[in-house]
Amino acid sequence: METKRKWRWGVNRWYILLFIILSIFAVSLFPPVRPNIQVAAEKIIEEPLFNLGPLGDFYLTNTVPALLFVDLVVILLAFAVRQALRKGDLVPRGISGAFEALIEVLYNLTETSAGKWARQIFPWFASIVIVVLISNWMKLIPGIETIGVMHHATGKAGNQIQSLGGIWYNWLPQEAASGQGYVLTPFVRALSTDLNFTLGLAIVSVVMTQVIGVRAQGIRYFSKFLNFTTMFKKPFFGFMDFLVGILETISEFAKVLSFSFRLFGNMFAGFVLLALVGTMIPIFVPSMIFMFEFFIGLIQAFVFGMLTMVFMAQATHGHAEEEHE
Amino acid sequence: MTGDIIMAAKFIGAGLAMIGALGGGVGIGMSVQGALQGMARNPDAYGNLLTNMILGIAFSEAIAIYCLVIAFLMLFVL
Repeated sequence: METKRKWRWGVNRWYILLFIILSIFAVSLFPPVRPNIQVAAEKIIEEPLFNLGPLGDFYLTNTVPALLFVDLVVILLAFAVRQALRKGDLVPRGISGAFEALIEVLYNLTETSAGKWARQIFPWFASIVIVVLISNWMKLIPGIETIGVMHHATGKAGNQIQSLGGIWYNWLPQEAASGQGYVLTPFVRALSTDLNFTLGLAIVSVVMTQVIGVRAQGIRYFSKFLNFTTMFKKPFFGFMDFLVGILETISEFAKVLSFSFRLFGNMFAGFVLLALVGTMIPIFVPSMIFMFEFFIGLIQAFVFGMLTMVFMAQATHGHAEEEHE
Repeated sequence: MTGDIIMAAKFIGAGLAMIGALGGGVGIGMSVQGALQGMARNPDAYGNLLTNMILGIAFSEAIAIYCLVIAFLMLFVL
């Protein structure tokens, strides 16, 4: 029962042409402004919200609303899937169908590399993939990094502003005289362009790897790091094993670093690329960059989850057993 | 004048830091080459090779990303 789908490209290409022409007019009306790029998340309110004691002050940076947004999206998706499951359809459709496909692919991957530990490892893998995926794709929503609060520029040259009526202002590309310029702080900035988020996720991933290793092998798991087992039987190679154990310890800390910098670096580079290309060639080319960022976000989310899964699977079987085989 | 020199040094430093991306590029190219040869000889191993290739790419890409992070720090933080 295969129905032939209607050929739609004939219409869609005129839509694309129309949007390109519209974007030419929009760019000449509201010329794009190069944003001030800053690695640390910008503060929406200059004063700290509350004090955390020895940890310092808590500022409302623009990745805090982003975190809430991502949490909200994940919870809403979970509710949608739960509603669909309650109805009891054997063939899920819509969101729940997409999630069934995603979960099935991820579970098969986990089962091939982790075997009987798949049920323990899979929740970490899938939830990391979903959270990172949503926080990566957040940046593709229009307006998310362009609507925000105007602050007086301090220390650097700000830009002129133009009133749009009410409390709304437009940010102009012309530089203002010193002391009168404004800089824009967006309300929401993509979550994975904040190093704190990626570092926290990396710490969760590495710590849970140790927990799963201990659960699988008991106290013997730590002989990977402090290896005295062969020290007295064969002195020279035993000492080498001890040194290898120290290297393993260092590599656990390097894992945190590489996890967090990989995700942060990729996503921040994408943000800078979008900002620069969007101001230099504002017509049509940014949509290709958006497509590229869509792909990169998918790959990075998959890689973060996949590496977590592989490290956890490695932690479940110790290397002592392999030597005797 | 000194501000201009510092500015120029920032840009030069960021450019020099990105030389390290060379190694990442070579590594990604070599891992994709190996995976593609494997796929061409044994098309059944396609899925398995693809996931492992993406993992290898992520590992070698991380080195290039470190350079990128250093370049960003020079440009936008220091």
